[in-house]
Amino acid sequence: MANFLPQFHSIKTGCDHIVIAVEDVSDLWPVIKKGFEERLPIKKAFLNNKTRNPVLVDELPAEFILTTDARLRSRFPQEQSLFWFREPYATIVLVTCEDLDEFKNILKPRLKLIFQNDEREWFIVFVSKAPAHNDQATKMAKKVYAKLEVDFSSKKRERCCKLDIHGSDANFWEDLEAKIMECIRNTLDRRIQFYEEEIRKLSEQRFMPIWNFCNFFILKESLAFMFEIAHLHEDALREYDELELCYLETVNVAGKQRDFGGVERGDDQAILLDPEKKSLTQIVQDDSFREFEFRQYLFARQAKLLFKLNRPYEVASRGHSFIISFSKALALHESILPFCMREVWVITACLALVDATSSHFKVGLAAPDIEKEFYRVQGELYTLCRSKLMRLAYLIGYGSELERSPVNSASLSMLPWPKPAVWPSLPSDASSEVLAKEKMILQESLRPKHFGIQRKPLPLEPSVLLREANRRRASLSAGNMFELLDGRPNANDGSGLTSPLPKANAISMSRTFSSPGNFESSIGRPMRLAEIYVAAEHALRNTISDAELSKSLSSVESFEQKYLDLSKGAANNYHHSWWKRHGVVLDGEIAAVYLKNENYDLAAKLYEKVCALYAGEGWQNLLAEVLPNLAECQKILNDQAGYLSSCVRLLSLDKGLFLTKERQAFQSEVVRLAHSEMEHPVPLDVSSLITFSGNPGPPLDLCDGDPGILSVTLWSGFPDNITLESLSLTLTATHNTDEGAKAIKSSDAIVLSPGKNRITLSLPPQRPGSYVLGVLTGQIGQLRFRSHSFSKGGPADTDDFMSYEKPTRPILKVAKPRPLVDLAAAVSSALLINEPQWVGIIVKPIKYSLKGSVLHIDTGPGLRIEAAHGIEIEKHGIGSQNVDNLANPQEENCSPLASEVKRLALQDNKIELPEWTSNINSVLWIPVQAISDELPKGAPAGTAVPLKQSVVDGLRTIALKLEFGVSHNQTFEKTIAVHFTDPFHVSTRIADKCNDGTLLLQVILHSQVKASLIIYDAWLDLQDGFAHTGKGDGRPASRFFPLFVSPKSRAGILFSICLADTPGRGEAKELHPDSILNIRYKISGSRSLGAHSPVAEELKGIDGEDATLTFRSALVLQRPVLDPCLAVGFLSLPSSGLRVGQLVTMEWRVERLKDFEDIAASENHHDEVLYEVNVNSENWMIAGRKRGHVSLSSKQGSRIVISILCLPLVAGYVRPPQLGLPNVDEANITCNPPGPHLVCVLPPALSSSYCVPASA
Amino acid sequence: MIVCVAVVGHQNNPLYIQSFTEADDALKLHHIVHCSLDVVDERVNNPKRSGPTLNETYLGVLYPTENYKVYGYLTNTKVKLIMVTTDLDVRDADVRNFYRGFHAAYVNAVSNPFHVPGKKITSKTFAEKVSTIVKSFG
Repeated sequence: MANFLPQFHSIKTGCDHIVIAVEDVSDLWPVIKKGFEERLPIKKAFLNNKTRNPVLVDELPAEFILTTDARLRSRFPQEQSLFWFREPYATIVLVTCEDLDEFKNILKPRLKLIFQNDEREWFIVFVSKAPAHNDQATKMAKKVYAKLEVDFSSKKRERCCKLDIHGSDANFWEDLEAKIMECIRNTLDRRIQFYEEEIRKLSEQRFMPIWNFCNFFILKESLAFMFEIAHLHEDALREYDELELCYLETVNVAGKQRDFGGVERGDDQAILLDPEKKSLTQIVQDDSFREFEFRQYLFARQAKLLFKLNRPYEVASRGHSFIISFSKALALHESILPFCMREVWVITACLALVDATSSHFKVGLAAPDIEKEFYRVQGELYTLCRSKLMRLAYLIGYGSELERSPVNSASLSMLPWPKPAVWPSLPSDASSEVLAKEKMILQESLRPKHFGIQRKPLPLEPSVLLREANRRRASLSAGNMFELLDGRPNANDGSGLTSPLPKANAISMSRTFSSPGNFESSIGRPMRLAEIYVAAEHALRNTISDAELSKSLSSVESFEQKYLDLSKGAANNYHHSWWKRHGVVLDGEIAAVYLKNENYDLAAKLYEKVCALYAGEGWQNLLAEVLPNLAECQKILNDQAGYLSSCVRLLSLDKGLFLTKERQAFQSEVVRLAHSEMEHPVPLDVSSLITFSGNPGPPLDLCDGDPGILSVTLWSGFPDNITLESLSLTLTATHNTDEGAKAIKSSDAIVLSPGKNRITLSLPPQRPGSYVLGVLTGQIGQLRFRSHSFSKGGPADTDDFMSYEKPTRPILKVAKPRPLVDLAAAVSSALLINEPQWVGIIVKPIKYSLKGSVLHIDTGPGLRIEAAHGIEIEKHGIGSQNVDNLANPQEENCSPLASEVKRLALQDNKIELPEWTSNINSVLWIPVQAISDELPKGAPAGTAVPLKQSVVDGLRTIALKLEFGVSHNQTFEKTIAVHFTDPFHVSTRIADKCNDGTLLLQVILHSQVKASLIIYDAWLDLQDGFAHTGKGDGRPASRFFPLFVSPKSRAGILFSICLADTPGRGEAKELHPDSILNIRYKISGSRSLGAHSPVAEELKGIDGEDATLTFRSALVLQRPVLDPCLAVGFLSLPSSGLRVGQLVTMEWRVERLKDFEDIAASENHHDEVLYEVNVNSENWMIAGRKRGHVSLSSKQGSRIVISILCLPLVAGYVRPPQLGLPNVDEANITCNPPGPHLVCVLPPALSSSYCVPASA
Repeated sequence: MIVCVAVVGHQNNPLYIQSFTEADDALKLHHIVHCSLDVVDERVNNPKRSGPTLNETYLGVLYPTENYKVYGYLTNTKVKLIMVTTDLDVRDADVRNFYRGFHAAYVNAVSNPFHVPGKKITSKTFAEKVSTIVKSFG
């Protein structure tokens, strides 16, 4: 059957559509041909596929062929069954007949003959030629057609249809199409069944020795082909898939060693998309096909069908895996294939596939994810092609042109060298080429990297080429001798290449001569690198038949162009796919080419993308590889901002990635630029390089208005010290976001050493609130920089690429305004007036240090500071200690003067408080003296003493102003009041009037201070008109002294005096208007309580002198009026009593007791008396004149009653109105009752006007 | 032979990368691991395509090339464990087994209270454990 292969091939090429046979019985075809052919191709046909499921075929091409045509004749039956797919799928029998007899006698037997023993699908088209107007003919035609139907149609199947040439029968064509389709469908089903049966039979023998793949293939492909012409592409594809599986299963059955193929000229060009490139007859091998061509053929068929199915993405993805697997197959047979055949084939295959699929691919053809996948595969194909091209380029000595980047290293260094049976040897006439290559090797030098970075280049070769090539050659001649040739670790180091070679050469020469083989001398001698290149180039020239590829490898420039195209193709496709990283990395490779070709602009743009990718994901090792290149581009482009930021990024990379020398180079670049004139100064972000943080521990706590010193830790990532011209740091309030961040500046230059630096910044007073660190800005030279990076107390984690997080811990807290200190007077009770006294001022710090504070003291009027005595300060007693300080007992104990008193000096009314008082309560004792010129006056006993008056008199103020705080920014002002008083309040009364005119004057001493008073002596300097009785000097008996007067108690002293004649009236009165009480006393009191010994006395006391104080008080003594002139009597009230709201008449009787002559002599109105009613208006309402004159005869005994109408207003015991006589001296009036008295006022009577009688 | 293992954080940042080649070519392995993240991303972002393996941590071969294979493993915390091998015929069960050990070692390493999540793994014990697993592979 394999013999049919050529025939099969020719049939396939000539047959691509369905054939419909036309049996033209009545020579009608020429007439109706046009109408029939207009119907083709058949639209919307339903066909059954292999699994008997209906499939809609949009367009089914077909051809009508007369049975008399040569194409349908003269076929052998065996052929027919084998190539059944080309046989007609339907037979149309065209008949016409106008006579029943003719039909019966001629046509019918002829038709019967045609259909006899025929498995063809047929039907009859009866063509009626009868003109429409000829009824007779029409009728006859109808009759004949009816007869025809009876004879040939069955109930099961209509096999006749009628075409009226002259009529217009639209239904006919539908009918015809339906009948054709029915036939085709049936035929197809039958043929499928037939082929399947055959295939099944054959595949059962698959593992038998008689198995013939060619037969199987013809059957299988026939079936596939049939599906294809029936436009059942899916089914055709499936057949090819099965065929491929079957082939792969059987092709490598052990024992059958076949040729692989691929050794013919032109085989290096992949034919995986062109099934017609090589005829199958050429590749047949025994009973099967050569793998090399046949697999490509199968793939080509599949690809064709897939393209027809509009699935180019599937072609691409299948193609990619096909290339990979086929490449493996090539690798297995590499020893028989031409040198580098595999690489060349892959390159051409990839390119062909990329071209074909991309030309078939239209955007929007498939779902987005399929599209992405398509682009991904395209990218893969380009990448594969690219790496193979690079491998070829390396072999012919373009290795130095290849960027030794990670991506190239990854794709090449793990790709094994080609493994030809023997490495190509140097052609004899190639010496000039060798020289050229050698020159190239010598010229080649690694392009020095920017910043003088030195890296060991990444390998591009899986092993040393020199060794590999020589080994492959030597294995033929001298075994593994060249394993000894380990001279060069890296074949690329061409410079020192010549030195080891002569030696090796010598060895090999001797070996060569001694070897019995008849090899050429060049085989035995190890080749030099240049020779390997030249040999490979020659061998490749033989391998490569593709003109374009050989051109690409013909020169470095054209290779570079090709390389660039492939890289761009790969990158662009990857960009459209999911594999963004692949795309960006390849962009980096493109950039490397641009950089080499001095196209810096494009290179920089691409490098930026790559750097962004690596930096974004923290792949620092990879970043370190490309970032210097970017920096170089930026430097050449004079992109200062970019260059600076690249340098900073380089510096902020992991320290291990660069040598210190290199890092220093980065820094020096930064510093150089910073100090140069920059055209467009831009702020530089050094967040990754300089980070900052507050100090660990609690935040700095400041009170409102206080400046402070903020200590901040800076981490410098620079390898060397770097000088910052200025530095400022913003503080951001955490609660108050609308208020802009405030910057605090460090004015002077700061030198940052590598690593941790602690800097302090002086902090002006801030508003209350808590603050976090914001942004660090500063200047290096002319360059402004800023850093947002907050490090958490450690060096910036370089792998922490996403840490721009805001610090949350406040660094500064400024408290809301609160009292920080309090000043208070230490005493509450009065001090002695006119004596130097200690006034205590308690200085009470409230959780605030008063270090260095200054107190301004300003005394008010009537008070002066006795500065001469010095000022004392002591710790405030425990008893009054405030709780806050108690909580800190250690501090208490530490204070140097826990209970001692320290003296301070007052300067310009200012005192500096000692340091130990800064945190504790202290009392400042200031000696003051309140000055009062007035002599205290005693008061007669019984009268209400206007104490208030004396309190106000004794009040003095001290204005205090405390300046404190870190820089005396805080002030506290307070005016405190201090009371001063006399030690005694003196009141007098006449205790007794003796018959002999002696008056006992009782002097009551009322102690007014909270201190014990000791009276040593008391005497009375009497005014004129009085005299001491007896011969004494007015002193009480001395044995009464000393007299102790407890605080707030009273003491009395009796003086006996008598009236004396008034000497010369005028002058004496002026001399002694008042009597003076002198008291010599001592005071013993605590200054912390109140009055105490005067300051000066204390000093004297130390000297042992007796120091007593003298208190003087004026007393007013009046001569007693022994015989009153007038008597005022309060007349009794009505017995019914007083009641609120009830008028009552008050009456007083005024009676003259004696003649008023001597007094009246000086007055005109001697017969009138002025009266006045004193009344408390809250208690009484008065009707009538309160004040007026009444006439009273000046004779003794004359009397008058003054009555006045009063209305009590309040109930209770109240003082009744009093009648006074203002013109008459009180001493001349005798009153009844003598003193103030009370009357009872009843509440108002119950009102009954609103009451309802009980009986009612 | 395993030439490289890597732990990649959930933000695709390298947490640990160790190559086991003699040559000084770690960088190309960095590149391979980094690029293989494309495939992990693709699988994670296209649950349709990854199909039944959606809920599985083991991702299988990410990246078959002619010369090496890259395997992936995605933990629940989106940490990727990547392995590069030049062995082209590896049994899937072996790789799964390898990953079980590798994952356990990783979990132990990050359970260290002094390890900061998301930071590079510097534990020597982890490195030793990983190299033991790598040596015993295959």
